[in-house]
Amino acid sequence: MAEDREILKEIWEGKLPVCFNLSMDELYTMDQPEPYYILAPRQTYFPLITDKVQRHFIKHIEPGIQEQSTEIWLEYEGKPLKWHYPIGVLFDMFNTDTLLPWNITVHFQNFPEEEILHCPSKSAVESHFMSTVKEADALKHKSQVINNLQKKDHRQLWTGLQNDRFDLFWGINKKLMEGSNDDTFKYVPYRIHRQDKVYLQKLVKPMKDTGQHMTLHDLLIQLDIASHDEEAKQRVLVQGITPPMETTLLWLSEHFSYPDNFLHICLVDK
Amino acid sequence: MSETPPESENQSGHSFPAPTHTDELSCRPAKLDADKKTKIDVLLKSAGDAPIMKKKKWAVDPTKKIGWVIEFMRKYLKFEPEDSLFLYVNQSFSPSLDVELGTLYDCFSTDGKLVLHYCRTQAWG
Repeated sequence: MAEDREILKEIWEGKLPVCFNLSMDELYTMDQPEPYYILAPRQTYFPLITDKVQRHFIKHIEPGIQEQSTEIWLEYEGKPLKWHYPIGVLFDMFNTDTLLPWNITVHFQNFPEEEILHCPSKSAVESHFMSTVKEADALKHKSQVINNLQKKDHRQLWTGLQNDRFDLFWGINKKLMEGSNDDTFKYVPYRIHRQDKVYLQKLVKPMKDTGQHMTLHDLLIQLDIASHDEEAKQRVLVQGITPPMETTLLWLSEHFSYPDNFLHICLVDK
Repeated sequence: MSETPPESENQSGHSFPAPTHTDELSCRPAKLDADKKTKIDVLLKSAGDAPIMKKKKWAVDPTKKIGWVIEFMRKYLKFEPEDSLFLYVNQSFSPSLDVELGTLYDCFSTDGKLVLHYCRTQAWG
């Protein structure tokens, strides 16, 4: 299926130009650091790509804090960014005006404990990622596929993501994207993100009782979040794209899911 | 968790972990019936060498988060700060601390209960 591979590759290669700046409140040196630019893969997580950002800014903060500081946190327009969401999801959720580059503020102090989680190490990212993949497989195949994979396959998924290696990742991920005995997923792993709300996730089968495919529109109707006559007010974004509402959910799940195996759908105000 | 854990009666300094929201139930008994309906049942099961909880089934507000449950259990089980505690759904994955119980209940409950296994070391991968 050459056509599929092209779509998967296109999604994998989605990148966002990000401009990092140190929080002005934390600037200690008189010389101001240059902004730091990264072309960030949509599919990855911030802690996997921000080591250089941290090193770039750390010499400009108070020496006492430099010594203790092991972790940075990121903010966009006053809102702390959740490191455990894929970068593409964070962008789609927040950056509704699509002004590029995406301007993000870097903080070393005043961690917003109530709003975001700490990221103690890269292995925390790995645990979170693998756990999300497992959750997705619990929904798709009652965990059968992930349980049949070997430890080295799990490693390969993670290394594929961490090192931006499409072939390595998909070598294993294709097994997770295959149907089970009844030839389809049991439930579709998706999350619906809306600003300032917890994500929405309920059980949804890929097929309706009538035997027809569930579409993106059907899903939004079922969850009672479809915009009926106010269609102009809300945008639906999946991987930065507004797919046609009649796209089947199963197809979207197989092709537009993030590496964590979840279809992340963002509902944003226009 | 609607019931008061036993140790909070004799240890006055140890109140409930009460993060952002207030626990309405404990201070407003008049609302008890209305609140009861919206609560979900959570079953906490120990795995490996984790200590067993005397009370296993709890009624919990669905908007409470996994992090809150872990904090509650650490106090209930009198864990030291250095002891780790891991929670698992379906004996397969460990939900992130900011996930609401209601969401997990919607997707992974069986027979009207959300079963969470807990252990001291990482299990199931």
